[in-house]
Amino acid sequence: MVRFNDLDVKIASTRVAVVAAGVISPLGFGLDETLASLRANNDCVSPVTRFDVEKCRCKTAGQISDERLLSGRRNGRKTERLHRATRMIMAVFEELFGQDPEFKPELTVIGTTSGGMSFGEDYYRALYRHAALRHSARWIANYPPQKPVIDAQHAFGICAPCQVIANACASGTNAIGHAFECVRSGKYQRILTGGYDALSELVFVGFDSLQAATPEKCRPFDRDRSGMVLGEGAAVLALENLEGARARGARILAEIIGYGISTDNHHLTQPDPSGSGPRRAMEQALQSANRSAEEVDYINAHGTATTFNDAAEGRAIAELFAKVPVSSTKSMVGHSLGAAGAIEAVVCLAALKAQFLPPNINFLNLDPDLDINIVANNARDAKIDIVLSNSFGFGGTNASILIQKLAA
Amino acid sequence: MNLRIAGMGWITPLGRGIDPVWDRLIRGDEATGQQISDDIADKTYRAFRIPAGALKDLPPHPRLRRASAISRFAAAAGLDALAQARSTIGEIDVQRMALVFAVSNGGVIYTKRFYHNVVESGAQSASPLLFPETVFNAPASHLAAILGIAGASYTLVGDGAVGLLAIKMASDLLDNEAFDFCLVVGAEEADWLLCDAYHKWRLLKSEAPIEPFHEPPRGMILSEGAGAVLLARRGTVQIDAIDAGGNFSQRRKVNEIVRRILHDLTDEHACIVASANGTFVDLAERAAIEKELPKAIVYGPKPALGESVGASAVWQVIVAAQALRTKRLPEMLHSGRQVGLSFPAIDETSYTKAIVLSCGLNQQVAGLRLSI
Repeated sequence: MVRFNDLDVKIASTRVAVVAAGVISPLGFGLDETLASLRANNDCVSPVTRFDVEKCRCKTAGQISDERLLSGRRNGRKTERLHRATRMIMAVFEELFGQDPEFKPELTVIGTTSGGMSFGEDYYRALYRHAALRHSARWIANYPPQKPVIDAQHAFGICAPCQVIANACASGTNAIGHAFECVRSGKYQRILTGGYDALSELVFVGFDSLQAATPEKCRPFDRDRSGMVLGEGAAVLALENLEGARARGARILAEIIGYGISTDNHHLTQPDPSGSGPRRAMEQALQSANRSAEEVDYINAHGTATTFNDAAEGRAIAELFAKVPVSSTKSMVGHSLGAAGAIEAVVCLAALKAQFLPPNINFLNLDPDLDINIVANNARDAKIDIVLSNSFGFGGTNASILIQKLAA
Repeated sequence: MNLRIAGMGWITPLGRGIDPVWDRLIRGDEATGQQISDDIADKTYRAFRIPAGALKDLPPHPRLRRASAISRFAAAAGLDALAQARSTIGEIDVQRMALVFAVSNGGVIYTKRFYHNVVESGAQSASPLLFPETVFNAPASHLAAILGIAGASYTLVGDGAVGLLAIKMASDLLDNEAFDFCLVVGAEEADWLLCDAYHKWRLLKSEAPIEPFHEPPRGMILSEGAGAVLLARRGTVQIDAIDAGGNFSQRRKVNEIVRRILHDLTDEHACIVASANGTFVDLAERAAIEKELPKAIVYGPKPALGESVGASAVWQVIVAAQALRTKRLPEMLHSGRQVGLSFPAIDETSYTKAIVLSCGLNQQVAGLRLSI
């Protein structure tokens, strides 16, 4: 696509490499554990332990063990005082900068939906009970969504400006997509991008109240799907101008080649049943990459397992793609909201690296209204070069990115 | 960078509409603190609220039927910005318009109500009607639906500097030939819970006025409302430069970041629209200005309009643009003359440039420079 630079001169697009990545999700800590879990078709959803769910319909989620999160001191700060979302991002940075210590971002673009929400809950509960509020300043200061990102940056000596995108469940993919556009425009050389979200009671109860969360297994695209389960985690990618990355000898994991964004004005929480919003995002991603639908080898679907999302997304996929393998890895880890798109981008990197199709587990029967090719229950080997990752969210936000294995 | 302001709109505690609010600022008017309370505690606070009737001309829309105040404020400011732009640059193709929505605390009124029900009566009492309105991008979604934006819409979350970060994001979006316009909206709604939080964070004062640049700082008054600027490649006021700044991990480090930003944006023909709000921010701005542009005239709108966090920086940009367009600057309220800075002595100015500084309360700092 032709773009403009600061002087309004049309310039050729720059290619955008992923030079490092870090991930923490119920699948595991780091790329290797993530890959192993995907290969093993693990169901990482378990009973919720962080708060009381007795009065909720849904009682499970994909959760991360606190015991494995970073603790101690980094850059002179006690990590125990920070929100666990901060510690998740720090764990991700540990992996990412371990891969590429020379990566110096000019900008950080991160998606989230709820920031340090559990600290807000602690504060409100203490107010309600007229309890001691001696921790209130810490809760309040660490509650805002930018705080975990900035604190994690400081822990790693990074001072890049932060753009924190809160586009509901599309936040992570929107963040990566926007970062991709920024590098592709030639305006930036290196950007850190991804998403995070930690499980919180308010959000959990909210989805439960909408009856969007299921008391059963999460079965995306299944005829008998009954809803989503929530999850948590963080993932961050290091994006860099491909030429620059090659010049400094950076290892290149993959290339991001396209991004599409659309807004579906049908309803605050429900997609247009026609699937027009998701379809426009996917079409735009293909157009932005100058690729055809036939060139896509795998789709990591948004696939929340809610009736409406899967119907709209499935219809859009069926209209655009002929029998491309599709899976929703939310079936394995739950829906980590602002982190989901970033975690799923890392799943796509793993799939490209190991040349396999991640599974859509808990799958029993295909919805007869959906003409799509589900990677049912088991990961399988496949030759894949280009993958599409979808994220759609409340507010009608739809985002799709295309990732390509870099030719040798 | 060819980035221009094609239209502006705002709704503030001094009313709605660019010219009426500007006239009040020029007259030296300031908002009145209204008492704000909550059943959860006996303590009361003061905040600058949107006056009754300011939204009476807002066109009805199904999306606004149950929406929180922040969404209504945003709709008012956004619609006004588009109307002003249409009157100056002609028709606007919304299919070629992106939306960047800046917010800090978001739909706090509904969020509090939703969670209060959960705490008081259990999860089974949670309202499925309220929950969607608690999501940060609900106001942006409503505004996109009202305006018919079907393309790019981003909600950016941050502190008081988020409005400038949103303008920076908009400038990046407008590098893409798919867009001719980007509507940047900053919005916030006031609530007792926010006042209590900022009070416990020792940043709030109990009574107006905000006294900028005093040492030691005496605290701020929260406010609410929205500001919107339509950015395009045509328009009277140009955005020359944007510095997305950086983040400070400790308050003592804020000075060096503000100073670096001001150094990068410095221009001897510029006045400065500061974010001074009666907190530590003021001291950082003052130190930077004294060092980098000691003779510059400084104006800050927060004593008159309050600290509206997500909306504040966009309001500052509107003030700066108005100063350039009208060649006037309002009087700096409640500053005293002893602080070593130069404040507008007469409202007539000859500035052709204006620097907007925005230092947030929670680690983010940014700046930009406008010219005419």
